[in-house]
Amino acid sequence: MMDRMTIPIGPQHPLLKEPMAFTVTVEGERVLEAAMRLGYVHRGIEKLAESRTYVQLVHVVERICGICSHVHTTTFCDAVESLMGLEVPPRAYYIRALLCEMERIHSHLLWLGVLAKNVGFDTVFMYSWRDREIVLDIMEELSGGRVSHAVNILGGVRIDLDAAQVQRILERFDALERQVERALEVVEQERTLRARTQGVGILTPDEVRRYCVVGPTARASGVDVDMRRDAPRPPYDELDVNVILHDAGDVWARTVVRAHETRESLRLARILLANLPEGPTSARARRRVPAGEAVARSEAPRGEVFYYVRSDGSDTPARLKVRTPTLTTLATLPRQLEGVALADVPVVLAGVDLCIACADR
Amino acid sequence: MDRDAVVQAMRAALGAAVGEPRTLPVDDLFVSVELTALRAAVELLQNEFDIWHLSTVTGLDDGEQLLLHYHFWQGSGLTLSVSLPYERAEAPTLSDLIEVAGFYEREVAEMLGVTFVGNADLRPLLLPDDWDEGPPLRRHVDGQGGQ
Amino acid sequence: MVVRETLSALFSILVFPGLAFAVLCALTFEWLDRLIMARLQGRVGPPWYQPVADLIKLLAKEDILPTGASHTVGAVLPLLSLASVLAAAMYVPVAGHVVSSFEGDLIVVLFLLSLPALAYFVAGWVSVGVYSIVGGSRSLLQYFSYEVPFLMALATPAILADSWQISVIVARQPTWGVFTMPLGFLLAVVGLIGKLKRDPFDIPKAASEVVAGPLTEYSGRKLALWHLTVDVQTVVGIMLLVNLFLGGHTSTFFAVPGWAAPLLFAAKALAILVGLATASVLYARLRIDQLAQLGWKVLAPLALAQILVALWMVG
Repeated sequence: MMDRMTIPIGPQHPLLKEPMAFTVTVEGERVLEAAMRLGYVHRGIEKLAESRTYVQLVHVVERICGICSHVHTTTFCDAVESLMGLEVPPRAYYIRALLCEMERIHSHLLWLGVLAKNVGFDTVFMYSWRDREIVLDIMEELSGGRVSHAVNILGGVRIDLDAAQVQRILERFDALERQVERALEVVEQERTLRARTQGVGILTPDEVRRYCVVGPTARASGVDVDMRRDAPRPPYDELDVNVILHDAGDVWARTVVRAHETRESLRLARILLANLPEGPTSARARRRVPAGEAVARSEAPRGEVFYYVRSDGSDTPARLKVRTPTLTTLATLPRQLEGVALADVPVVLAGVDLCIACADR
Repeated sequence: MDRDAVVQAMRAALGAAVGEPRTLPVDDLFVSVELTALRAAVELLQNEFDIWHLSTVTGLDDGEQLLLHYHFWQGSGLTLSVSLPYERAEAPTLSDLIEVAGFYEREVAEMLGVTFVGNADLRPLLLPDDWDEGPPLRRHVDGQGGQ
Repeated sequence: MVVRETLSALFSILVFPGLAFAVLCALTFEWLDRLIMARLQGRVGPPWYQPVADLIKLLAKEDILPTGASHTVGAVLPLLSLASVLAAAMYVPVAGHVVSSFEGDLIVVLFLLSLPALAYFVAGWVSVGVYSIVGGSRSLLQYFSYEVPFLMALATPAILADSWQISVIVARQPTWGVFTMPLGFLLAVVGLIGKLKRDPFDIPKAASEVVAGPLTEYSGRKLALWHLTVDVQTVVGIMLLVNLFLGGHTSTFFAVPGWAAPLLFAAKALAILVGLATASVLYARLRIDQLAQLGWKVLAPLALAQILVALWMVG
């Protein structure tokens, strides 16, 4: 009973939300080593991009990920618009950022539920996903889609808000804020949750740097990176983003960081709504993009999203390169899983907030 | 990052191997570097300027050659570009300098057919184990074929 | 006369308080349990016929096991478990009615209630899958962590009443056991949570880690019998606690007419069920080593202390 066993986790497993394959060798309850295989959701987006127009690609890149779809299109549009030298109206920037922050809120609440489920705390899962519905309803009202919004177009956004909508959203934000505060209390103080997540899956700041980890996982180890503050694209250059750091570097630290970030995003969303500039919501964009290269970076809920676009002067790109935040976090997983208890494997996997669709593209 | 200082330091150390930098939107500086000077350049970035964040490695086929862009970041973007001829698609590995570079190199290797000398683990990252249509991101590969 | 006695015995065994009643109670308690947990979690919960529907559905499903697993043993184990908990139900008084009662029947009940745990482990072992084996070894480790405090806590009422016969313990309680030995009651409830493998002690079948533990590979009729076993075990465990710690169907505070005694019994049983459901909802699942630490460093010493207190109270 205590000799080595090879346990497959994936590509189908109750604890994985997306297919990827881990092969974990355990002895008793201890993991000796973990091997990883990606590519189960690889759809060849980068190759596909070479035969689609930029207009089509705005919608294609939205489908790279289900949870952080909007930030993908925002970054892509940013890159292409800067290649075209297009002046995007400020109102459009604000609406894009509003959706980015709401996406961060819904992604973190989703993740909190997933983590809770993985530690057997179904109640928190039920509550956080119920509260997430508030944000999804707002996004559906604004754009027509709960998770995939198709809000961005080259040159701006295709939706607008009137004063009545803004008021309704602010009211629902109040309700959401109460729930987020409660979730924050649970995360910081509930003993069984802390017992399962503290001291598990520790990443030192040195490892964060060696693996170029980004996002809340990096910030939970004390490494101060946040693209909203470091590479501020409008309107973040007018906002004062509080970057939340923690120094424990374990799964609990990541939970605390994300819970606080949810509250911070709510605050930023309120500021954006209060200061929506007047004006048009889009500028007219040409079909053809002048030859050249551009690099755009944004802060997705999971960290830095990077887009490189190379244009040859036609209406399809010569090369589109997407780097998603989860890719480097995945690189740390085999090392993080070594030596943990089998019961902690779901905690570690949930703690890094994987988005395999993003990583595989 | 004081990019002028970085480029100057690179010039001073590597001379003609460092090309003319060009600024690119949104906030990036592209510098071409000779393949032979790549590792030395990266070591310089790490040791003298503590630039540790490598966002990714973009590999592309522009019809005449293969290009590798190494995208670094420290407050602003700096990209080192190297050019590889088709006949000799080999580059030195950076995985001993930056641990995650090995991961990026796996993807470039499978997508563009570049061999990274010194990287012991070049197993396919995203492509299926039985992919036999050639590196998908090469110009001549259609990529439309399936199983 | 013989005919009437035989019929009366058959009625007792098969209908009330025997098989039919036990199964009916089991399904009802499962429904109430799921309803309470759902409402606490902000959900609606299942309709009253859900447990019956689940049972019927499972009975109709294909019954397969992996290659290399033993079909015979796999079929015998759930039957054995169900038989032992139903047998235990025979000896636990339901509002004073019991199929058979004799000196020492508490020990028999405790023994019968432990058999399913061992069968559970063997079931995992014999079904060959990796998740089953890991879940099975966890279930044994869990068994050792909760069983000792549980048994010691349940011995306390017997010590106080100077008898190992459940109906006698109920009759001799001066007041509810929960007041004379509150620690014992608490430990018995915690032990029951472990025995029933409920959250936060559902470690052997933690879905996010071992899919479904020892029962991962079971389906169809076999799985239906396993589910029924857990439900009946829940009912028997709760009723045992009501008898030993809550005075059974008797009342110490105000006189209760004879016809209301069963209702009083039911109310106490439901109160314990509500407590179990709430406990399931409030906490994250513990890790097996955390449970083992809890069992041996906290529960067992407290149970020992409770026994010593009981011994001192008696003599």
